[in-house]
Amino acid sequence: MAAIEVDQFVPRPAEQVWRALTDPDLLARWLMPNDFKPVVGHLFTFRTEPVPQHGFDGIVHCQVLAIEPPWLLRLSWRGGTLDTTVTWRLAPEGTGTRFLITHDGFDETDPAQQAAMNILGGGWRGHLVGRLLSVLGGDAQDG
Amino acid sequence: VTTDQLAAWSALGDRTRRTIFERLAQRPHAVGELARGLPVSRPAVSQHLRVLRQAGLVAEERVGRERHYRLDARPLRTVVDWAGHYERFWQHHARLLGELLEGGD
Repeated sequence: MAAIEVDQFVPRPAEQVWRALTDPDLLARWLMPNDFKPVVGHLFTFRTEPVPQHGFDGIVHCQVLAIEPPWLLRLSWRGGTLDTTVTWRLAPEGTGTRFLITHDGFDETDPAQQAAMNILGGGWRGHLVGRLLSVLGGDAQDG
Repeated sequence: VTTDQLAAWSALGDRTRRTIFERLAQRPHAVGELARGLPVSRPAVSQHLRVLRQAGLVAEERVGRERHYRLDARPLRTVVDWAGHYERFWQHHARLLGELLEGGD
């Protein structure tokens, strides 16, 4: 199934990156204010600005689904019309750590989410989306 | 997402129509040109163009004696925005994590 995948190299050891993923205060500094606890089954929220055009009230409801220090943390991620899963993985790379984010579980019966996943995950990625965005950008004044 | 936008996306559920749409994203084409590169008949291409026009994705214009078809991607804007939103969200926050740890110690 299609997923959003993002990765980032961090020039620090995995244990240090792991702390930034699991310490609520550090987590708030790079992501959002939260009441996270590193315990499977723990229910918590992230709080941010609402995004009305996406039907999002600014609260992400989460549950810790899996935790394998210092390599993997999986959360359920529910907010607005989303009922999804976010997985954070760490992998050693040279003297640092690769941080891999997978956001998946989008509702494939929802046409908007399905279309979005087609764009992000399918063969459309890159060539068509780039052109589409430039076309849309050109029409921005009268759109 | 409005009904019009859903119509646009469901029109693109068909592989041949997606191919037509991608070609029109490069430049406007006449029906004959589109049909030459596709494994379907010219009447079938006209039929697909009609569906794309009804979905608001393609506009028709007369150039001399020919009809040219050009892309109108505006009905797709909301979903493209939506899709990019989450990818940008994670890219942004992953960068912030990197900056946080590089700055710390």
